Amino acid sequence: MRIALYVTCLVDLMRPSVAFAALRLLEATGNDVVVPPAQTCCGQPAWSSGNRPLAATLAQKAIAELEGYDAVVVPSGSCAEQIVKVYPQLFTDDPVWGPRARALAGRTHELTAFLAEVAGLEAVPGEFAGSVTYHDSCKGLRGLGIKAQPRALLARVKGLSLQEMGECEECCGFGGAFAENYADISARIVDRKCDSIAAAGADAVVGGDLGCLLNIEGRLRRRGDEKTRVLHVAEVLAGEVKA
Amino acid sequence: MKAGHSQAMFFQSRAAEKVRNPVLQKALQKAKPLFSGKRAKSMAALPDDGLEFEQLRDACAGIRDRALTDLDVWLEIFEDNARARGAEVLWARDGDEICKLVIDVAQRHGVRKVTKSKSMLSEEAQLNEALAAAGIEPVETDLGEYIIQLAGEAPSHIIAPAVHKSLEEVEALFAKTHGRPQEERTSADIPALTREARGVLRQHFLSADMGISGANFLIAESGTAALVTNEGNGRMVTTLPKLHVVITGIEKVVPTLEDFATLMRLLPRSATGQTISNYVSLLTGTRSEEEVEGPTKTVFILVDNGRASLVGSAYQEMLRCIRCGACMNHCPVYFSLGGHAYGWVYPGPMGSVLTPLYTGIENALDLPHASTGCRQCSSVCPVRIPLPDLMHGLREIQHERGLRPWGERLGLRAWAWLATRPALYRALTRLAARYLNWLADGSGRIRIFGFAPGWTAARDLPVAGNRTFFEQYAARKRD
Repeated sequence: MRIALYVTCLVDLMRPSVAFAALRLLEATGNDVVVPPAQTCCGQPAWSSGNRPLAATLAQKAIAELEGYDAVVVPSGSCAEQIVKVYPQLFTDDPVWGPRARALAGRTHELTAFLAEVAGLEAVPGEFAGSVTYHDSCKGLRGLGIKAQPRALLARVKGLSLQEMGECEECCGFGGAFAENYADISARIVDRKCDSIAAAGADAVVGGDLGCLLNIEGRLRRRGDEKTRVLHVAEVLAGEVKA
Repeated sequence: MKAGHSQAMFFQSRAAEKVRNPVLQKALQKAKPLFSGKRAKSMAALPDDGLEFEQLRDACAGIRDRALTDLDVWLEIFEDNARARGAEVLWARDGDEICKLVIDVAQRHGVRKVTKSKSMLSEEAQLNEALAAAGIEPVETDLGEYIIQLAGEAPSHIIAPAVHKSLEEVEALFAKTHGRPQEERTSADIPALTREARGVLRQHFLSADMGISGANFLIAESGTAALVTNEGNGRMVTTLPKLHVVITGIEKVVPTLEDFATLMRLLPRSATGQTISNYVSLLTGTRSEEEVEGPTKTVFILVDNGRASLVGSAYQEMLRCIRCGACMNHCPVYFSLGGHAYGWVYPGPMGSVLTPLYTGIENALDLPHASTGCRQCSSVCPVRIPLPDLMHGLREIQHERGLRPWGERLGLRAWAWLATRPALYRALTRLAARYLNWLADGSGRIRIFGFAPGWTAARDLPVAGNRTFFEQYAARKRD
C-alpha cells in the first residue's frame, strides 16, 4: 500500500516533530510512505469563514495531489474531517470533482484511526515514563468518531498510564479563527479545559489536533503551569518526545 | 426583515462584559454540570424502558418533518378542530400583531390583570411592555420568569430564564418587592423563597381576569394545546381565569396525540433529565356545561414572525425545534456568556440560527461565527437539527452578501493565493518560522504577537523551532 502523509499547514510551521512522528509510525506499518511535496493547506480557514469558492479552490488542489495514493493519512482530526466530510459537500453536484472528492474522502484517514483500524499496528515504538490525560478534539470525536483508537494505541506505549480527565469530550475553545476573533470567549472555555487538566494531575495532556494543543499549551503556560507537558498523540506513540 | 428589539449587533461588547462578571460566571459554572449531568443520566436510563436514543430522535425528527412538510394542511385541521371545541383561532404575522390581538381581546373583556405562564413568543412580541402601556398588568408566574420580571430583565435561557441570577440577587429582589428586610440566605432557604413567591402569586392567580400561556405543541387531530411544565403555575393560568389566550408559533403543530406522546419521550429528558415533567396539560376547547373549571373563552393566537419564510428553505430543519434547551445546555460558548449576550429572545446555538433568520442576517453578524464548531449541540438535539451546518450556511450567506470584514476577506484571499503556489509558500513559511523563532527568543513561546493579539491576550503562542517540517524533511532526504 502506498500511503500519502498529509502534514497539515499548522504542523509544518508550528510543530514539525508531529509529522516526523507520523512518518515513523506509518513506516512501522510496513507500507510505502510518501510526503506529497506540493501540499499546503486543506482550505479549512476559508470554509469556516463561509468562503465556499476559496475552500473549493484549495480542495481541488489537495484532491489533485492526494488522489493517486491508496490511502491518505492526516495527523489531525479537523483537517481529516475537512477532506472526509467537507470536500464531498463542496462538489455535491459537480460531475467531475464530485466523484474525485468522494473517492479521496473514502481513502482518507485520521492518523490514529488508520493505525488502529486500517493498518492494525500492534507494537508502537514509543516509550513514556509517566501518566497522560487525553483531550478528545471535537472534529475528530464528533465528526469522525475518534475516541477508542488513540486510547487503544496509547495503552501499548511502554511505561505510560492513562489518567482520564473530567469532561474530556468538552471543547477546548480553539475553533480556528474563533480563538482570535472571539478571544474573550475562547479564553474562558480553554480555562475550563485547563481546570480539568489540572484536576486530572497527569504528567502530560495528549491530543490529536495541533490547534487544540497549541491553545491548551498556550493557556497552561500563561496560567503559570510550566510542568504539564502538552503532546501530540503521534509524538508519544512514536517516541518523538524529548526528555 | 426588521431587527425589532434585537441587540445582537452588540454581541462582542456584551461578551467582553459577561466573561468578566464573577456573579454570572459562578452561576453558570454551577448550572452547567446540573444540566448536562441530569440529561446524561436520563438518557443512559432509556434502555431500562426499552428505548434507544438514536431511534427516538429519528422518530421525533420524522414527526416534526411530517408536520412541517404539510404545515398549512395541519394548521387548518388544527383550526377546524379547535373551533369545533369552542375556541377562537386568530393569526398573527409578527410581534406587533400579537400585541394588538391580545390587547384587543383583553379590552373587549374588560381585563385589568393578566397572569402569564412561560411564553417565549410573548418575548418575541415584547408583550409585557405593550400590555403595561395599555393599562393592563401582566404578572409572570413561572418562578424564574417572576424573578426576572421583578428585575426588569429578559430571560437568559429558554427553560431556566433566571439561571444567571444568584441566590443573593433573588433575596434582594424579593425583600425589596415583597416589603420585608433582607436576610442572609443559603441554598437551604430556596424552598422558603419559593413559598414566599407562591404566596404572592396565589393572590394574582385569584384576581387575574385573563391567563396567557404558550403551548409546547398544538395537536391537530383534536385541536389541543399541550403544555409541559413543572411548577403548576401553568394549570393555574390556564384554568382559573375565565379567559385563556394561547400564543404559539405556527411550527408547533403535530398531527396526532400519538405523535405528541412520542415527542414527550425526549422533550423532558432532553430539557431537565426528567422522564416526564411534573405537569403535562392537554387543553382542548372551552369549559363544557358539565365541567366545573376551565375558561369559558379560549383564544389561540398562531404566530408567523418569520417562521413561514423558513418552510421549504435550506433552514426548514430549524423549525423542528421543540425548545428543550439541550443545545445551549451543552454549548461551551453559552456557558461562557449566559443568554443575554446573544441579544435577542433565543440564546445558544438555536438562537445563533434563529436570531439572524428572524431579525435579519445583517443584524446578527457575530452569532453564526461565535461557535467553535464543536458539534456538541447537534449531538444532543432530540430532533436532529444540524445546528452547526445551519450556522455554517449563514456564514456562507454573509460571505456572499459581502458582509464579512475586509481584513478577513483580504487575508483569506492572500492566504489562498499563496497556498496554491507551493514554491512561494515554502519560501514564505521558512521565513515565518524564523520570524516566530526570533520573537520567541529562545523561550519556546511568544507572549505578545501583533498578528494575533486576541490569541496572546490570554495565552502564549508555543514555538517549536526555526525550521518548517518541509525544510527539515528536504534536508534529511539529501543526507
